[in-house]
Amino acid sequence: MDGSTLGEHLEERGVTRRSFVEFCTEMAVILGLGSAAAPSVANALATQKRPTVIWLEMQECTGCVESVLRTEAPTIGDLVLDVVSLDYSDTLMAAAGHAAEKAKAESMAKNKGSYILIVTGSVPTKEDGIYCTLAGKTIRSHLEEAAEGAAAIIALGACAHWGSVQAARPNPTGAVGVRDIIKNKPIINIAGCPPIGDVVTATVVHFLTFGRLPSMDREGRPLFAYGNRIHDQCSRRAHFDAGQYVENFDDDNARRGWCLYQVGCKGPATYSPCPIVQWNQRTSWPIGAGHPCIGCTEPYFWDTMSPFYQRLPEVGGFGVEKRVDTIGASLAIGAAAGVAAHAGMTVLHQIRARKSSKQLPEHDAAAQEDSNNG
Amino acid sequence: MTTGTPRPPVRLPWFDVRLPRMRGDITWIYLWGAPLRVSHWLAALSLVVLFFTGLFISFPVWTSAGEASSHFLMARFRFTHFLAATVIVFAGIIRVYWLFAGNQFERWPALWPFTRRNVHHMFLMLKSYATLDPKIQPHFVGHNPLAQVAYTLIYLGTTVMMVTGFTMYGQANPGGFFYTLFTWVPGMLGGLQGVRVLHHTVAWLYPIFFSIHIYLAIRADYIERAGVVSSMLTGGRFVMSHEEFEDCDLGDHPSVPWHTGEHPTWVKPQ
Repeated sequence: MDGSTLGEHLEERGVTRRSFVEFCTEMAVILGLGSAAAPSVANALATQKRPTVIWLEMQECTGCVESVLRTEAPTIGDLVLDVVSLDYSDTLMAAAGHAAEKAKAESMAKNKGSYILIVTGSVPTKEDGIYCTLAGKTIRSHLEEAAEGAAAIIALGACAHWGSVQAARPNPTGAVGVRDIIKNKPIINIAGCPPIGDVVTATVVHFLTFGRLPSMDREGRPLFAYGNRIHDQCSRRAHFDAGQYVENFDDDNARRGWCLYQVGCKGPATYSPCPIVQWNQRTSWPIGAGHPCIGCTEPYFWDTMSPFYQRLPEVGGFGVEKRVDTIGASLAIGAAAGVAAHAGMTVLHQIRARKSSKQLPEHDAAAQEDSNNG
Repeated sequence: MTTGTPRPPVRLPWFDVRLPRMRGDITWIYLWGAPLRVSHWLAALSLVVLFFTGLFISFPVWTSAGEASSHFLMARFRFTHFLAATVIVFAGIIRVYWLFAGNQFERWPALWPFTRRNVHHMFLMLKSYATLDPKIQPHFVGHNPLAQVAYTLIYLGTTVMMVTGFTMYGQANPGGFFYTLFTWVPGMLGGLQGVRVLHHTVAWLYPIFFSIHIYLAIRADYIERAGVVSSMLTGGRFVMSHEEFEDCDLGDHPSVPWHTGEHPTWVKPQ
């Protein structure tokens, strides 16, 4: 199976040409190439040797693996089983222990310089990285070793992107993303906690079709998926513009499917393909199901996007935590009250001073002597 | 004066004891150029609009019932907010031009009154406000240094608001002009949510500044009688011949004629 092209491999497995082209069409559409590009994608994929994938799981919850397994694909089944040759994955491989490590080492040696490294999970850096070890070595050394011979690295999920929940304040293990450790390899971040499986598939297909990673935004996320904000693609956007907002999760407005802006939706600050690609075989997506976006494709979202049910974060240091706007409004009212008090006192003071001392304002003292108005 | 009959005493309003006499040695001097005044009022107008439309965008208290297709409430508020934003940018461009073309009170160096002397005068201003004693207040032809610091702060704050505001504005069109111009901003502030928080924080500078600014301007007019409130409309204020100023030696200033609107020949401040 190692020497075969993807086309041959699929034929062996009884995948029809029709369902293969369906898959390619879907990928071409997700990639923004349009369905007309499907034949070229199909051609490129069918003649490709299946790429070897090493999947490293570090500090993570396996949610990303779960998400990718739910990739919608025709009879091809799962990307991880058919499009690629998955030589190493803690969760999915049958082998364990020494046998698994041996398989990884062999595959890495054999495919040096050409395999794709998929990474899920963050790298702990505190205490020399002892918070995550595998086969007696820190996960950091595993990552550095595997990155050495990789053609490209797909950092899958928020953990591999920037550290995710482990890296949220106070970040006890010093968790960081792949980009903070590996500097000399092309890295693409499939952002999200977890990301949508189809985006991973599409990225791999792009790599196979064009031989390079897709173009990325400032966060290293593929633009075909993360090129627009949730807010600008949202099915509830009309309600935002109309001024129709859910105020509580149990109010009538929630039942009407109005905009979730007031209950903390972070869609306006989040770039993600969720509204278009959606989840679980296009069943639904968070906002579609009535839950505000928590901004999980944006870096540091656990700190910057929380509290998830409020528009703005809370500001510490005031005893009781308060929103910026509450503090600002208090200061503004305080300033107005201070002004009013000061104005009253100034007027009283001036009247008293002028009455009692019969003195004019300072600069007019000279005029006082020949004053003729009593 | 010319007639021998004594004039009847002038009846004064209850809140005042007497008005300063207007004598021949009061001179009106032209201070604030037209570009400065135009940018002041454009900014004042647009900032009020920006603050209140911004409040609605932040707290959309009015809900419109019925079909979404028959309403456009938030969109109209946002449009007004963006329209006012272009006005403040226009005002800012005029102000920046006048930072280079204006007189000594309007130019760039005037924004930074941080010499020892000026800092001392800031403390005197604060002391005078705290003790309500106008006699210890130093006199200035232009802004007193404390006021100038507040204005500089507003200029800086408004710059921050423009940058953060147009950063968020640009997000609707990724790859567009404003998006590309301000790609560095979200990275610096920990993401778009950081940009949003800063925009909300600085916004509260304006109601605080507005109440204090308007109050102190009216108060200065009430105490000094120099016409500083109308100076932002007419461009000039009154000075008394025997009045000495910290920021400028007016020299033989009564030679500056009333109403001519000529720039007096300034002598460099000490």
